Order: sequence, then structure tokens, then C-alpha cells
Amino acid sequence: MALNSKILGIVTLLYLCLFLIHLLYFATKKERFLRVMWVFLYFTFGLHSVGLIFRWVESYSPWTWISWLSLPLPNGPGHAPLSNFYESLIFYSWCIALVVIIMRKKLKVPLITAFASLAALFFMGYASLSPSVDRQIQPLIPALQSNWLHVHVFTCFIAYAAFAISFLCGLFYMFSMRGMPPKETLEELNYQSVMVGFPMLTAGILTGAVWAHYAWGAYWSWDPKETWSLITWIVYALFLHARFARGWKGRKIAMLSIIGFGSVIFTYIGVNFILSGLHSYGSPR
Amino acid sequence: MSATRSNAGNAGEGETPPGASAIDAVYRFLSSVRFAIFVLSCIAVSCIIGTLIPQQAPVQEYLSRYSPSTYAILRFLGLTEVFHSPWFLFLAGLFVVNLFFCSLARLGRFLRGQREHRLPTEKALEAMPHFRLKGKGIEEARALFRGYRQAGNDERGMVLHKGSISRSGVYVIHGSIIIILIGSLLGLMFGYRGTVTLAKGETKDAIMKQGTSGSPMALGFSLRLTDFQLSFYPNGEPKDYVSSIEIVDKGEVVRKADVRVNHPLGYGGVSIYQATYGSDPAFLFDIGGEKVRLLQGSAYRKGDLTIMAVRFERSIHNFGPGVLIAYLEGNETKTSWFVKDVPRLREKDLMGVPVRLDGIESEYYTGLEVSHDPGVGVVWTGFAMILFGLYINFFMYERRIYLLTTPGGVLVAGSAPRNREAFREEFEKRREKAHGTEQ
Repeated sequence: MALNSKILGIVTLLYLCLFLIHLLYFATKKERFLRVMWVFLYFTFGLHSVGLIFRWVESYSPWTWISWLSLPLPNGPGHAPLSNFYESLIFYSWCIALVVIIMRKKLKVPLITAFASLAALFFMGYASLSPSVDRQIQPLIPALQSNWLHVHVFTCFIAYAAFAISFLCGLFYMFSMRGMPPKETLEELNYQSVMVGFPMLTAGILTGAVWAHYAWGAYWSWDPKETWSLITWIVYALFLHARFARGWKGRKIAMLSIIGFGSVIFTYIGVNFILSGLHSYGSPR
Repeated sequence: MSATRSNAGNAGEGETPPGASAIDAVYRFLSSVRFAIFVLSCIAVSCIIGTLIPQQAPVQEYLSRYSPSTYAILRFLGLTEVFHSPWFLFLAGLFVVNLFFCSLARLGRFLRGQREHRLPTEKALEAMPHFRLKGKGIEEARALFRGYRQAGNDERGMVLHKGSISRSGVYVIHGSIIIILIGSLLGLMFGYRGTVTLAKGETKDAIMKQGTSGSPMALGFSLRLTDFQLSFYPNGEPKDYVSSIEIVDKGEVVRKADVRVNHPLGYGGVSIYQATYGSDPAFLFDIGGEKVRLLQGSAYRKGDLTIMAVRFERSIHNFGPGVLIAYLEGNETKTSWFVKDVPRLREKDLMGVPVRLDGIESEYYTGLEVSHDPGVGVVWTGFAMILFGLYINFFMYERRIYLLTTPGGVLVAGSAPRNREAFREEFEKRREKAHGTEQ
């Protein structure tokens, strides 16, 4: 087994531990566990990054030993680990952790961080256990051989991760019970995460359009993935306008963030399973 | 923090107050956020339909999915080509109209707000985060807020501000969406797209235009494929395909370049993209001692014998690949199969000339896409603007500091309508600094 798989396996377990620490906190209500949780999250995120870097480096194998330089040099066709469904899943988990860290000042809501770690665990677990996911490092097909790959995938997945936080806020708002964070906190956090996600999604769509112009000769071709990203964009644009221009509050806004995330998941995964198009790189097989 | 100025107060917008004229009512409706939400929802629903029903697919595909009557209805409603249907363009038009009037209606209020720099009353200031600088003057208080610009002052005090540009973000974003749509309209009206396939050595001066008709269109110059290179990874996936192209304009080679995926070639306002590739069989014949390479459909003449490769079969009755050769005997067309792997069927005498099939090769051809889009520059401008607008709208926020001279010293207060928490932190730091210098 390649080193990156081992590291990413450990990272999956760490996300499980992260969730368990949250459970300890919920059981005991001791602030100490929250402090431990944040340190643990930084460590998990760090190791996750190392795992991704190792996968990136290993994609260049075989490395050849250049004797006069006393250095190994890459000999294989390497690329950032952003090229297939497996890599996108582990990258998505990484982005969820990153967004939680970026929003740490506003994310003083253990319920949300608990379920964010559960989401990261779910995507890591799905990536490494599902029989329908190919985990091999595959060489990059010509259409993906572009620097736009990095910025396009990065912006899109940061947006998806922020929308996951927004979804959790909306979900817990709808089914709020005694002992849960106050509704106002959830609502506020919901807006905050959409405000991170929306500009990133826009940037993701635009970088995708520029890339499509160079790769396929048209910046917009109504490919199902493009169309669904536009639908997602419209849902969150509606969210922002309903909230800030029309003053929507409460369950209506929470519902919009749930619909929005449904659209995100369909854009990310559903399109590849159900519809066919140019973006088939992300398909499970 | 809010993405747009909070207009929650005028929730009744879009409704006509009594006594307003009809034109006024229409204007209010077209510029309302309620209408924007309605149009955007309609566009989203159309998009969903456009991905669930195959778009611009061959008729057979529709008939394999739907009954003929359902297909007729879908076609009539334009649901088989949603994104090119008149009603979708109409929705996009409504969206632009709404966006324009909506921004226009708010622009006045926004500009008035920009010039509004009056100092609130002492009581109003005390409701904001505030502190007092005892026995200090306005200038000393001003010095605390480095990085702030002075917005206004009167005998009572001074107003400072920072990040006011973020308030124009909404207008930049909306304006750039209109610019992007104008750019794409330019492309739709004055642009074209087409494909051209070229075998090695072939020259063409026309493309097949995209669309249902698929008519050929002259380019005004010629494209010649001098070489086509295809490489694969060990796992069989394509690694790279490169078409070496020469552009021939008025009989002269004006440009030589390699066209690869992600690396188009621009010439004379059109862009040439590597789109696909394919292969045709090429047949290596020995005709009366002469080595000849025949493509499917091409003919060769030697003496009285004219032969033509008519049809290629990958496998003829399990004897391997073969080619059907047609030749003229007098005025009569005769045919004969040549099978590569069967010695008896590999060599034949046609009209006394010994003909032998030596091999069958793959002759690769390249599929290039050629497009002309005069709107791309406009669209790119819109993209850059929208990113700038998003940045100032979502990642910057407006802060105001009020300095009021009071009998006891200066009252320092501040507000940030959109990001109270972050502002409170910043304000607290300045307060600590002020009181630190006091001691």
C-alpha cells in the first residue's frame, strides 16, 4: 500500500476521534474537551495536508536517481490529487476542515463542529471503503492538464465545504430542540458560511468558464455540471437576496440553505451518477 | 454583516401605493426584489428541466425515451432545446431588465447615503460602542484612527470612515452580470463555431458549422495538418494529442503551430482547438512492384488498371481484416476482397497486374474545433469586475467613527452596520491604545 493511503487511513481515524471528543464534551460539558478538540483538529488537518502532498509526490513515481545530482527526479506524469472521484472526496474532507479552521472565531458552536467532523469522516470513509471508488493514482488525461485545474477545484470545494456548514445550521434550525445552540446563533452562522461560500462558488464557476474556453473552445456549453452549478449559484443568490433585501428570516431561510446544499450535492455527485456530460472525470469509475 | 444594504424596512416595495400612475407601478414591479426572486426561480427551474430532458439530441434518442406524442409536446414547448428557446432568452431578458431597474432604483439612495456624513446626536452615539477621551482635543482623537479618511466635519466634531467602497460592491456585481450577458449575446449574434477533420497532409479551407443544418462555411484561409501525434499512458488512457498545423493564407504559409488540448491556436479572430481524433484504415498495396498507400475511398491507376479501396472490414468470416477493392474491367465495375492474413486471398492478379495487400495501418485524423466569439473580451471584463465586486462586498466592510466635542473632552463612537462583531474588536483595541497613552 502506498504511503499516502496509510496516512489518509490514519486521518480518517483521526476524524472519528474528533467526533468522539465532541461526544465527550456533550456528555461532560467540560470546556477542556473543546480546547483539546481544536488542537486535535489542527493536527488532523496538518496530517491530512501531508497525506495529500504525499499523494501528489507519489503521482510522479517512478522517481529516478540522478547520480551526478545525488537527487531523485520525477520520471512519471505527476499531478495534484484533484483528478478523480476518490481524490475529490478526500479533498472535500480537507476543505471542510479548512473552512472550519478559517471560520473558527465564528464557529464557537460545538454542535456544528461535531457534525462537520462527522461529514469529513463520512467523505473520507466513503472514499476509502466504497467498492465503487477507484483509489489508484491515475495519470492525467489531456483535458485536465492545465493549471486552471488547481484554482477551479480549490474554489469550488471551499464553496461546497462552506455550504455544508450552512446546511448543518439550516438543518439544526429546522429541528432545534432543548439544549441546542440558540436559533439566532445558528441563523447568523448560516449567513456567515454562505458569505464565504457564495463568492468562492462564483470564482469556481468563472475559473471553470475560463478553463472551458481554453480546453473546449467555449466558456459555457450548458453541460449538466455547468448548468447545475448555475442552479446552485441561483439558489444561494436567492438566499442572499431573500435575507438581505427582503428580510426573510427563520425557517424559510433555513429551508433555502437545505435546498442549496441538496443542489450542491447533486452538482458534485448526482450529475456524475445520473447525467452524462463533459465533466465525467469525477465519476466513481 | 449583510451582503446588501438591509432594506428589510421597506418590505412593501413592489406594491403600488394608492395614487401612483400605471407606469410607476410597472417600474416599481420591474425593479422589485420580489420580481428578481421570481425570475431567478423561473430560470433555475428551466435549468433543471434542461438537464433532465436530453437537449438537442437526435430524434431517435427522444423516441426511445418518450412516446411520439410526448416528444411532440416537448418539442412544441421548446423543452428539447431549453437553453436556445425563445422563452429562455425572454427570461434572461427579464432578468437583465430587472437587474438594471433594481440597481437604478437603489443607486440614488446609495449615492445620497455616500454623501451623508452628518454627526448624530450625543445620545445616538452613546448607543454605539463608544468611549470618552477626557481633556483631549479632536485632533488627538483623530490620530488614533490611522487608516481612516475624513468624511466630514463641523463645529461639533468630525466623521471618519473606512471601507466605504464595499457598499458599491452590489452595484459592481450587478453591473458585471449585465456586462457578461451582453458579452454572451455578442457571441450568440456575431460568433460561430464549427468543426473540421483533417488527415495528415490534408488541407481544408472550410469548417462544418455547428447546429442542426451543419452547413460548410469558408474560413478565409486554409488549415493544413502536417503531423498528428498521439501518445498513451501505460494504462491505455490518452496522454497527449498534438496536431501540427500550418495556416495557409493567400497561398502562403503564415503560421505554423502545434495545437493541443488546453492550448488553442488563435489566428485572424478565430481560435482553433484540439477537440477529438479518430482513425481510418490505410491499406499498403504492392501493385505490379510499386508500393502504394490507399485510403478508403481513394483510387489508384496503373496502366490500364484503376483500383479503389471501397470497404474495410475488421474481420471477414474470422479470417482477419480485409478490404474490398473495386476495379474497372472495360466498362464493368468488378470487386474483389483482399484479406491480409490469408495468403491465398492476399495476392491476386487483376487484369494481369499482380496486386498484393502488404498491410493495414491506422491513419489518424484530427478533429479540430474552430470558433469565433467577439464577445469573449467583454465576458472576461465582466468576470474580472464581478470578482472585484464580490471581494469588496463580502470581504470588506464599512466602518464609521464619530468624534464629538463635549464639555468634558471628546466622545469617540463608531459603527459598522455589516460586521458589528469584528468592528467591536477593532474598536476595543483602539480604545485600549487611547487609554494606554493617557497613563
